[in-house]
Amino acid sequence: MAAPAYAIDGNQLLEQVDRNLNPESYESYKKLINIEPDGSKKEFVLFTVKKGKDKVAAMFISPASEKGRSTLRLDENMWLYIPNVGKPIRITSLQSVVGGVFNNSDLLRLDYTSEYDVEKVEDKGSEHLLHLKAKTKSVAYDKLKMWVNKDNLLPSKIESLTEASMLIKTLYFKEIKDFGGGIVRPSVIETDSPLYKGYKSVMIFAKVKEQTFNDEVFTLTFMPKMESLR
Amino acid sequence: MRLLLLLSALTLIFFPQFVSSEDEYSFDLDEIEKKPYSFGGYIEARSVFFGFDRDAALYKLKMFNRDEGKTAEEYNAALQLDGSYEKGMARFYMKINADIQQSYTGWSDNTSIFEGYLSLKPSHSISIEAGKKTLKWGKGYAWTPVAFVDRTKNPDDPDLALEGFTVLSADYIRSYSGALKTVSLTPVLIPVYDDLNEDFGEANHLNFAGKLYLLLYDTDIDFMVLTGGSKSTRYGFDFSRNISPNLEIHGEFAFINNFEKKFINSSGELFKRKFNAKSYLLGTRYLTVHDMTIIFEYYHNGTGYTDDEIEDYFSFIDSSHKTFTATGNKTLLQKALNLMEGNYGRVNPMRDYLYVRVSQKEPFEILYFTPSVTGIINLNDDSFSLSPELLYTGITNLEMRLKTSFLTGQRNSEYGEKLNDYRAELRVRYYF
Repeated sequence: MAAPAYAIDGNQLLEQVDRNLNPESYESYKKLINIEPDGSKKEFVLFTVKKGKDKVAAMFISPASEKGRSTLRLDENMWLYIPNVGKPIRITSLQSVVGGVFNNSDLLRLDYTSEYDVEKVEDKGSEHLLHLKAKTKSVAYDKLKMWVNKDNLLPSKIESLTEASMLIKTLYFKEIKDFGGGIVRPSVIETDSPLYKGYKSVMIFAKVKEQTFNDEVFTLTFMPKMESLR
Repeated sequence: MRLLLLLSALTLIFFPQFVSSEDEYSFDLDEIEKKPYSFGGYIEARSVFFGFDRDAALYKLKMFNRDEGKTAEEYNAALQLDGSYEKGMARFYMKINADIQQSYTGWSDNTSIFEGYLSLKPSHSISIEAGKKTLKWGKGYAWTPVAFVDRTKNPDDPDLALEGFTVLSADYIRSYSGALKTVSLTPVLIPVYDDLNEDFGEANHLNFAGKLYLLLYDTDIDFMVLTGGSKSTRYGFDFSRNISPNLEIHGEFAFINNFEKKFINSSGELFKRKFNAKSYLLGTRYLTVHDMTIIFEYYHNGTGYTDDEIEDYFSFIDSSHKTFTATGNKTLLQKALNLMEGNYGRVNPMRDYLYVRVSQKEPFEILYFTPSVTGIINLNDDSFSLSPELLYTGITNLEMRLKTSFLTGQRNSEYGEKLNDYRAELRVRYYF
């Protein structure tokens, strides 16, 4: 039997979750670790900038084979720039830039409220369970189930599902950290997927800080120059 | 295979961190500290094994005075270094490529500055760059007819770094809200004199090129122009757009004013003809739900040779080779050889081509493994090349690629008259 929805404005709650995760415009560093079933790891470090509801860009700092590779998302447009290839190409949100469980939309995450509407909120004791539905077909995952801690209004777990409710991956939010400037959020996101049995991906956050950028930074022409923002 | 095992063993010995396990996650802030300088690159070993088509016209042309048997091997080593230094709004960047080759023709080596330029960025909207650089215009993957200021890329390996030209260029970017999101303007000056950009075109001209980029209704659109005398004036247009989350389409159109084509008849008479050429390309990139990427492109090369013209060239080589065999006189073969550079020897010198590449990301849950197959089909003579490829990038900074190519076609067809029938290449690249 379905749990009854309770009287809370889901979209307002989701907006609060977005703001608690990061300011609307900010910069941060992320380390991505892909862990294989035998325990071997591959690590990537990215510099990410975001502005407003629809602009986000990321650039690889390491390893050397990926250095300078950058991705840009402008609303539903997404591009990949590879220094050796020398020109940005259009990609889709579903493609993986680095291999492993995370895909482009995980690396270039917009606010959840930009991509999803809250269909239902359930009371799960110490947590709210938000049922999110993608606003358009171009969003990487059609449905999300988001568990939000009632005390700090931060997510603890998100399940990403297809339109047919098939589980694609689960994100676990861990190790809440004070980054300064009023930003207190999980510093580690672990991910596993039934599609990649035994594999795990981890994203660690550092130096998350509020920052403003010119709109021109989020353009195709600027992609090769992203290093200058650091 | 031995080479692979050796490299894997060396990696385990010298870089044990690549295969470490079960450490707790750490993020050392030293890793992200920005330094004013950067240094990197790769070292590459590449061995090639190929089988000659001893009846082919290009075999007769290039191997007329030697006999290397049915197969040959080639060994290559390459080093690419890039570095930059940044101070305030100024940044200097350089990329150097050096390679050495041992093949049936002996030893050869080449070192080139691929790029080396100074960049000034007074604001996020404006940048000015002076020096040698690649501009990489166009949206095509295998071919880019609108890349007026670049060297022609090889559709067989389109992602290879190319040497640039010495230019003075600028970028001016403006962003807007609404249907038109971005406008950027890129003017370029290309001086061509005796020791400067001498392989760009006719010397003693200061050429101008320009590109206007628009992001309009979620579509990338570029308009470009090149004029100035080193090459005939040309105009271009390209676009790229996602029409669904997993389907992208792109296209290019180039109008080349007064293009001069040199050609030869089967008797060896040389001709020149000037005409306005139109080249265009239409392509798509599709991602399936199973992570298979399909790239498909159709290319019409308005500057290319017709069936009859290419057949005449191959016939002339054949008769020149017969003359050489009978008399030892290589004058006619030398004449045919001279027409290779920039003419019949161009990458895909004919009119209409199809390119299809299918790659599957991480099949059978093998992470960082991408098998693919690429086909390039000459629609004018139905000859083609088919290239299966295996790529593995599972060891940090190490990239291993095994690629084979099979060339098929009738006599007097483009791929039927190439030097090789097949080739296999193992490339191991280590980035640092």
